[in-house]
Amino acid sequence: MMLEGHDESFNENPKANGEVSLGTTIMAIRFDHGVVMAADSRTTTGSFIANRVTDKIYKVTDNIYCCRSGSAADTQAISDIVKANLTVHSLELGQPPAVNTAAKVFRSMCYKYRDQLSAGIIVGGVDSTGPHVYSIPLGGSVVEQPFSIGGSGSTYIYGYCDAHYRPGMSKEECIEFAKSCVALAMSRDGSSGGLIRLAVITPDGVERQVVTGIEQ
Amino acid sequence: MGDISTYNGSAILAMTGKNCVAIISDKRFGVQYQTISMDFDKIYSVTPKLFYGLGGLVTDMQTFSSKLKFRTNLYEIKNGRTMEPAVLTKCISSMLYEKRFGPFFVQPVIAGLDKDNKPFIASMDSIGACTFPDDFVVGGTAEENLFGMSESLWRPDMEADDLKHVCTQCFLAGINRDALSGWGAVLYLITPDGVIREDIEGRMD
Repeated sequence: MMLEGHDESFNENPKANGEVSLGTTIMAIRFDHGVVMAADSRTTTGSFIANRVTDKIYKVTDNIYCCRSGSAADTQAISDIVKANLTVHSLELGQPPAVNTAAKVFRSMCYKYRDQLSAGIIVGGVDSTGPHVYSIPLGGSVVEQPFSIGGSGSTYIYGYCDAHYRPGMSKEECIEFAKSCVALAMSRDGSSGGLIRLAVITPDGVERQVVTGIEQ
Repeated sequence: MGDISTYNGSAILAMTGKNCVAIISDKRFGVQYQTISMDFDKIYSVTPKLFYGLGGLVTDMQTFSSKLKFRTNLYEIKNGRTMEPAVLTKCISSMLYEKRFGPFFVQPVIAGLDKDNKPFIASMDSIGACTFPDDFVVGGTAEENLFGMSESLWRPDMEADDLKHVCTQCFLAGINRDALSGWGAVLYLITPDGVIREDIEGRMD
């Protein structure tokens, strides 16, 4: 099983059925006119690193992205379905969909199939009401937050994030904050690592960045 | 609690060259996916020309190396000389087989020069089955990766500098594909003139 993040399945043998995990650190931070999404790039099958340059930041619509953690298959399937639904929805609406709507579509699937899925998702984007970050953890609840961290590596940086986050940070400050959080988590969590991928979403568009090596 | 041999994570590699051997281990001490320490090397010294590395469960590594220290000390006192590599290997093998039905979860890798300065490497499983190849030996959670890299890059009769370089490259590439080992490496290059220890910087993820 390929996983982004590890879960109790560490206790079974994930290599037995080839499952893949997104052993992960993901985060999203809202700033005054946009959202910074960040993720590591490691995908594991048991302890083998199946992909060391994974892109866990997935484009749902032009203005809405999501970060994936948990089972790679589950999150890819859910993201594809949500993207398809939102594409149709935005055509019917005649305008880009609200981030709130995307979060609810994700949630409806994550909640309905909660017993069969292993997916922790962070949705971030900018719509006509401004920037938003929604966190949809394992059980299928939704909560909007000014910033959100997720994945197995996030447990190592809760204290750091709480200590260093301030509301009203600028875009550049948010980017540096995201990089430092993900880097710290990668250096302690065995199932996070590789590159730090970023997506900066603003009303003008989306800028993708990659940071190679670990900034310590 | 799944597979006990992947609870902590480790990686060890030893290679022979021309009149020299190198043994390298990673420095991670972790508990499943959490990394506790990045300064925990897994290579122990018997003499300046004989080293062994232990992969596997850390508590058993520590206990077993203490018991082995006792045995090697006693041997030196009784025999008035240090153990030869082949003797050490058989000693370890025998100690592990004593616990055949309740084993130490360790994977020993031995590297050294014998009394004629001939390179010697050996490895065994957790119940003492030995192998004595003449090229390289691997151990730990990253062993499959290390097998592949070493098989491709090892060649016979490497000089010390070459051996160090090849060993390092194989090792770093191997551990970079293993989530449970890494966070730096330590290399011991053993030659008739002495041993050089080198701490190698690798990816810290």
